[in-house]
Amino acid sequence: MDVSGILASHAAKYKSVTVEKETPLEVDAGSLMVTDLNPIDEESYNANLEEHLQSLARDGAQALFASLFTLPTRPSADGPLAQLPPPTYQLPRAKPLPKPKPPTKWEVFASAKGIQKKVRDKKEWDEEKQEWVNRWGRDGKNKQLEDQWITEVPLHADVDFDPRKVARDERKARVAKNEKQRDQNLARAAGKGPREERKRDIEKTLATTRISTASMGKFDKKLDGEKKVRGVKRKFDPTEAPIDHEKEASLALISRMESDSKKTRREPQPEESVLNVRKAVRFASKGRGGIALGRESAGGRGRGRGGRGRGKR
Amino acid sequence: MLRTVKPKNARSKRALDARLPKEIEDTRTAIFVKGTHSGEVVNNVMKELMALKRPHAIAFNKKNAIYPFDAASGSTDSLEFWSNKNDASMFVVGQTTKKRPHGLTFVRMFDGKVLDMMEVGVESWKGMAEFKTPKSTPGHKPLMHFASELFDTHPRFIQLKSILMSFFNGEEVDSICLPGLEHIISVTCAPTPTSLNSATPNMYPNQTPSAPEELPKVHVRTYTCKLLASGTRIPRVELTPMGPSLDLVMRRHQPADLELVKQAMKRPKLKKTDVEKGLGKRKKNLEVDEMGDLRGRVHVGKQDLGKLQTRKMKGLKSGFDVEDQEVGSGEEEEEEEREDGGPKKRRKAE
Repeated sequence: MDVSGILASHAAKYKSVTVEKETPLEVDAGSLMVTDLNPIDEESYNANLEEHLQSLARDGAQALFASLFTLPTRPSADGPLAQLPPPTYQLPRAKPLPKPKPPTKWEVFASAKGIQKKVRDKKEWDEEKQEWVNRWGRDGKNKQLEDQWITEVPLHADVDFDPRKVARDERKARVAKNEKQRDQNLARAAGKGPREERKRDIEKTLATTRISTASMGKFDKKLDGEKKVRGVKRKFDPTEAPIDHEKEASLALISRMESDSKKTRREPQPEESVLNVRKAVRFASKGRGGIALGRESAGGRGRGRGGRGRGKR
Repeated sequence: MLRTVKPKNARSKRALDARLPKEIEDTRTAIFVKGTHSGEVVNNVMKELMALKRPHAIAFNKKNAIYPFDAASGSTDSLEFWSNKNDASMFVVGQTTKKRPHGLTFVRMFDGKVLDMMEVGVESWKGMAEFKTPKSTPGHKPLMHFASELFDTHPRFIQLKSILMSFFNGEEVDSICLPGLEHIISVTCAPTPTSLNSATPNMYPNQTPSAPEELPKVHVRTYTCKLLASGTRIPRVELTPMGPSLDLVMRRHQPADLELVKQAMKRPKLKKTDVEKGLGKRKKNLEVDEMGDLRGRVHVGKQDLGKLQTRKMKGLKSGFDVEDQEVGSGEEEEEEEREDGGPKKRRKAE
């Protein structure tokens, strides 16, 4: 049976859906874009601008729709959803890429154990009241013990047992604990966790010990996990130095020793102690001053000793 | 310049977190600013563009003394401040001067700084009100069509294509509702003049590449798409003009700084699930088997089997052959095989 005639008449009924061009149109389905790289035909352009533009656009749209309708689709309420491939044409971002956050202590544990995150709603079904109540917030169920007007007191409780205060303190303690853990998580993410601080202290100490040896730690026994130090050598001054250099070096050393800069290592000076002596003296002498204090203590001691001495006899 | 806002309640914290950078970005919000003199043409064209860009568009009501191409004026600072305050990353600045009538400047931002700028002049325009045809629903994603080989070859037009794509179709989606594709924005250049075609860009590096009069005009048209039955699964597309049609002429431009562009084009690292699905560069030694596991092949070079170090089997030493002689020919054959093949085969037989 010859069906070519029927096919031809069928095809003639509908207009063509294919687009033929010199250079095939570049369709980027992922970014819903079609680019026509053929040079613009001057004659059609000059003859009728709008029609030419519209025909170009129609061809481009046809090619784009052809590729879109061949994509796999998912049904949805508004119609078929086509699954787009990732775009080929790269556009610059508006904001820089987010830095990946290190996982928190709980997240590490949960991923290791395979615990899924369960999102709970704000409202919870209360069987007793037969209605939806807030878990937290206004009239929240977490404040029930504090709000209720009657509470069972345990058998051997104190006389002044305040159930409301106890419940409130427990709730506040839970909040404070959560805050503390959140702060620790933030510090750990920023690199300031206690382990990192301890590591940094240890590395600093090791660096100091390395410099303390004559060979700059080159021949010391290496510990596990210690970082390799490169390029630190002991510096030797030249054996023959001009006299001015020696004089300058010695004077500089002396001035450094006497200066108050942070770089000189000495025992803590008296003024660096915890007590502010000036203020203490002012307080003890009630504003009169150190000499008055001294007079008082000397006189008192003398009188006290004398008095006591006489008293004893 | 702005003080960092510290959130005082959960709602403001949510609003601030929504502005943080994300791996897959949202649509760029565009701010439409009028310069000191804008004129009726520029005002109307900006209104039309805003209608196409809604709801991700903000229009400033007052006039602002902003000259984006003037580095000495504080315009860059103004742009950065507005971008930060409104969380917007695109600008359309409209200004009319005697020298540059009906000018629109498209500015694109990255990381709060100006990435690149493109100034066009509106030669003629037709608004949506003049086309008495049905319009598309605001908020739907437009299809984009670029026609001219210049969009691939000439740097000015490559930049124009990139800016217009960022403006209209910037966000990445992984699925789209097919009945929702209602309109297409078509950007076409005039025929390329022969001067642009013949001149090779590297011939005279000191000369400015093309005088402004030589760049062809750009025609922007918007059409609504109608899908007709065609007998096959793919429908036949028919277009009806809708919406603004603009004829633009290229004016000044500021290309993007290479360092910033490198930062802006960084992509997030492909997750393991995507690599298993087959995205990313196909590595020759990686494949995903039927179980869905990622398997790799380690290619070791040709090994000299003669020098291979194997277990030493005392029983296989030549001295022991004397005891096995009475067994038969079968055994001998086996031994022969062992001798011919490498020591590896000897091991397999064991």
